[in-house]
Amino acid sequence: MLALSLTNGLVIGIVYALTALGVSLVVGIMNVVNFAHGEFYILAGYFSYLFAHTLGIHPLAAMVIAVGLVFLLGLVVEYTLIRPTYGDDMYSLILTFILSIVFQSLFLLVFGPYPNKPPSWIKGATEVFGLFHYGNQRLAALAAGVVVIALFFAMLKLTWFGRMIRAAAQDREMAELNGINTTRLNLLSFGLGCALAAAAGVILAPVFPVTPTAGTPVALTAFVCVVLGGMGSMSGCVLGGLVLGVVENLGAAYVSTGYKHVFMFLILILVLLFRPAGLFGRREV
Amino acid sequence: MNKKGFVGVIVLALVGLMLAVGPALGADPVKIGVVGPRTGDAAATGKAFEEGIQLATAWVNAKGGVLGRPLEVVFEDTAGAPDKAASGFERLVTRDKVAMVLGESHSSSALAEIEVANRLKIPFVVVEAWADPITAKNYRYVFRAGPSNSGVVNETIAKWVQASGFKKAYIVAENSDWGLGIAQLTEAALKKAAIPYEQLVTERKSQDHYTELTKIKQFGPDVVLAYVYGTGLHYFVAQAGEVGLTPKAVILDGAGPPSLWPDYWTNVGDYGNLECFVSSMHEKVELTPLAKEFRENYVKAFGKAPTDYKSRSIYDAVLIAADAINRAGSLGAENLVTALEKTDLLTTRGKAKFGMEKGGPEYHQWMPPMLVIQWQDKAQTVLYPPEAATGQLKR
Repeated sequence: MLALSLTNGLVIGIVYALTALGVSLVVGIMNVVNFAHGEFYILAGYFSYLFAHTLGIHPLAAMVIAVGLVFLLGLVVEYTLIRPTYGDDMYSLILTFILSIVFQSLFLLVFGPYPNKPPSWIKGATEVFGLFHYGNQRLAALAAGVVVIALFFAMLKLTWFGRMIRAAAQDREMAELNGINTTRLNLLSFGLGCALAAAAGVILAPVFPVTPTAGTPVALTAFVCVVLGGMGSMSGCVLGGLVLGVVENLGAAYVSTGYKHVFMFLILILVLLFRPAGLFGRREV
Repeated sequence: MNKKGFVGVIVLALVGLMLAVGPALGADPVKIGVVGPRTGDAAATGKAFEEGIQLATAWVNAKGGVLGRPLEVVFEDTAGAPDKAASGFERLVTRDKVAMVLGESHSSSALAEIEVANRLKIPFVVVEAWADPITAKNYRYVFRAGPSNSGVVNETIAKWVQASGFKKAYIVAENSDWGLGIAQLTEAALKKAAIPYEQLVTERKSQDHYTELTKIKQFGPDVVLAYVYGTGLHYFVAQAGEVGLTPKAVILDGAGPPSLWPDYWTNVGDYGNLECFVSSMHEKVELTPLAKEFRENYVKAFGKAPTDYKSRSIYDAVLIAADAINRAGSLGAENLVTALEKTDLLTTRGKAKFGMEKGGPEYHQWMPPMLVIQWQDKAQTVLYPPEAATGQLKR
């Protein structure tokens, strides 16, 4: 049971981290809490289902197209809806909240109330070290999640765009003084945040089929990861996701399966009590 | 006859014709309300309700409507939330002036709605909310034309478990009024039958059941009684196959519809084979001539065969309501309650007749017969009750 709980905690934790990275990026750069983050995740799952299942496109190509489309949609949303709210966090908060409701209604209208699942990349299950059976699609999702997170961090550390993101996250005014066009950076960061949600959506939809309202818990967990890791801290966000995944699974295995998500909030309360800025966050002076 | 006289006769004849053709044509409709989730996690039930309402309204109006007036159904969305359910119910009564309310599929929502029905003194026929307290509270205005937890467990599930010779059972219940209630009754029934069992509670919206399934596997049951509704059931069945719990153990979906949703096979793949589920509808077993008519009309209207039995449950409820209104002869709540209590109507699921014995959940309760069905190579085989069986349990 311990081995399974840790493995499953790791898998679920990577998933949480992947979805939370987009939130963390947008919060760090733009100070915008995107309530529709979960809906971008679901939209990518639906696109992936539509292209692969209905149109018969190869699942991998369907995933890439889905992420690309959500990225473009993210750019449009930032340009048309978020940009006019610059300077007033409350407006963007309300706007993205309304956007999430609009998305949910549209999903219901277009895709119906039933769950939709794109084709699995790999079927069956594997016996892990003779200890337990584990779904192959989950193991594939773990690998894909790790690759996407690694690519994201490589981009952040090794590219000019990554440096601009880090600079703006640390000191926006100083970044502007050094010639960074922060308006354009906002646009791209929001699109990238949506694309990260989409990446999580296409990786996970074959494991957890998408439904119109499934985005709400996704966004909620992502926010918890971000707060847990420290607002705007990318590595903190990954650690937050892993901690949540493992704690939830150990709690379910050894305490109670009926209150799995309560453990998530217990951890959050504890961290906020003893480290109010989060695990990797810095106190404001 | 002069010209004026001729015109007068024509006008009189036309007026007379209009009155004779059918009072329903020009009359105000009689409104009844339906409550159910059209949005939220259980929006699939709302879709099934919409289909059933469409067919039932057409059926009733084709036969002259109610009290010589057309029947109109106003559908209020509850989103599966008790607060929205209670306010939606109240809106139907105060804004839409409905004569009675039908529907609901969430026990927690129904438990909120029965309080409003009782306060406003409006007859409420619950359709697919199974928790016993809904009728066990013995409210005068509350009826149930559908399964109850105790009815499903004692009349169907427990008897099937015993008849199938299962040696060890595991009860998995989602943490909702329905899940916890039906699990408690199952526990009592298994204890009485001296069948060893264990039980765990899972979160209603949980997507990941690996930990639960591994615990279940360690116990080594030969049947898992899963009281998990909605998409959660799909996750549960698929993941049970991945962790190797099935096919050694048989899973029984204790609610039914999710095993019949259009995407069931896409979501669970081959792991869905040999899964059992409870249902009041089977593709080849029709209990009454009206059930056959319902199937034919459904195919004609929607171009597909009916799968979610809740479309037929609400269909029956609308017919029961129309029958009660016609027999009551008015829309007064007291007359409607009396008429409902005297219901003796052949529906798609058999003869509807409400219990009158006070003190338990049988009061104002009509329990339609339920079947246990197994997916065998993507075809439905009825296993229980024996008189309706079309095949044997495969393991």
